[in-house]
Amino acid sequence: MEDAQTLVVEYLPVVIFLGLAIAISLLFLVASSLLAPRKPDPEKLSAYECGFNAFDDARMKFDVRFYLVSILFIIFDLEVAFLFPWVFQVAEGNLPAFWSMMGFLGVLTIGFVYEWRRGALEWQ
Amino acid sequence: MAGLELTLGHYLAVSAALFTIGVFGIFVNRKNIIVILMSIELILLSVNINLVAFSVFNGTIMGQVFAMLVLTVAAAEAAVGLAILVVYFRNRGEIAVEDVNVLRG
Amino acid sequence: MALIAFYILSTIVVLSALFVVAARNPVHSVLWLILAFFTSAGLLVLIGAEFLAMLLVVVYVGAVAVLFLFVVMMLDIDFAELKQGFQNYLVVGVLVALALLAEIGIVAAAATFGGGTTFNANPGAATNAEALSRVLYTDYLLLFQMSGIVLLVAMIGAIVLTLRARPTVKRQNIAQQTGRKRKDAVELKDVRPGQGI
Repeated sequence: MEDAQTLVVEYLPVVIFLGLAIAISLLFLVASSLLAPRKPDPEKLSAYECGFNAFDDARMKFDVRFYLVSILFIIFDLEVAFLFPWVFQVAEGNLPAFWSMMGFLGVLTIGFVYEWRRGALEWQ
Repeated sequence: MAGLELTLGHYLAVSAALFTIGVFGIFVNRKNIIVILMSIELILLSVNINLVAFSVFNGTIMGQVFAMLVLTVAAAEAAVGLAILVVYFRNRGEIAVEDVNVLRG
Repeated sequence: MALIAFYILSTIVVLSALFVVAARNPVHSVLWLILAFFTSAGLLVLIGAEFLAMLLVVVYVGAVAVLFLFVVMMLDIDFAELKQGFQNYLVVGVLVALALLAEIGIVAAAATFGGGTTFNANPGAATNAEALSRVLYTDYLLLFQMSGIVLLVAMIGAIVLTLRARPTVKRQNIAQQTGRKRKDAVELKDVRPGQGI
């Protein structure tokens, strides 16, 4: 049984940290909007191109390869999420839990070998 | 008792509100499939809150195990859904969901 | 104190969820989504489900939201055009949402949850993660292995869908480069004066 009161007290450092982070970032936002000189004109706002008018926006599309990397990251992120509580069972010497995790890792290793062979990890 | 302590009802109320907002988002953003996918994530989040709240207030762990599985499925769904979206954009040059009727006979 | 924290966090969650569906710019939607996930992780911490809260931050904020952000920035789409139907569907959306909320309310009024104020996130264990680990790998073995297979399918599916072979790109093969012998690369020719090779 846990009491909500003690939980809040336990997480007090986190709350203080978050409060400080929010306060400081708000301070920067407000201070820069109040203090910084701002005189926007079209020349300043457009993208700089040497010798001619800007063709289009300064923003650029991302390459799809970044997306592939982040998908592979998500999969292994979840794998790690499942690995965390497993540590307790390994410490207790729970063999069935150990082999169950080995099966899980084996399945994901198949996927890993597949992506390696397909060249999904190469930045071509 | 009510009004001074955290109860299961509080969490169920938040979860119901999130679920409703998710469904509302799907209905309102009919054209924008990215926001539809985000609304689905919101719905899954509300389900997770529900599962964890029931698990914690009943003192059983099963709800949290299932919340982990929901998390897994949500991540897989986001990955594959967005991959389909990327391929669709590559082929068609736009992502308006209303025009996704190529398979209609 | 816990109740005050709950009210603050839940207000932020609900408001940011509303902004997710209502924001004009999808990048802002993703940022609101991150805020919603983060504060709901706070809600879970409040009732002691610390491991799930950590997972929400690690998986949702760290990976899923980044995935969404990538996709939004990868596709250059006229988002103003996609937002066109918002007004038209607003009435239907509100009606559906109200009906759904009413249904949930009716069910909640009819059901008895036996809701006490005591909560226990880690029955029979010292920490939340340990309580989870007691059952996850053995009692729920099949579900655990199935989630591994779900991840495998997602990984393979994403690779099959998005990976494009680029045959025109020349790549460096380091093994081939360093394994090259002198006799493969250099040939000595005895060139006579007045004659070509």
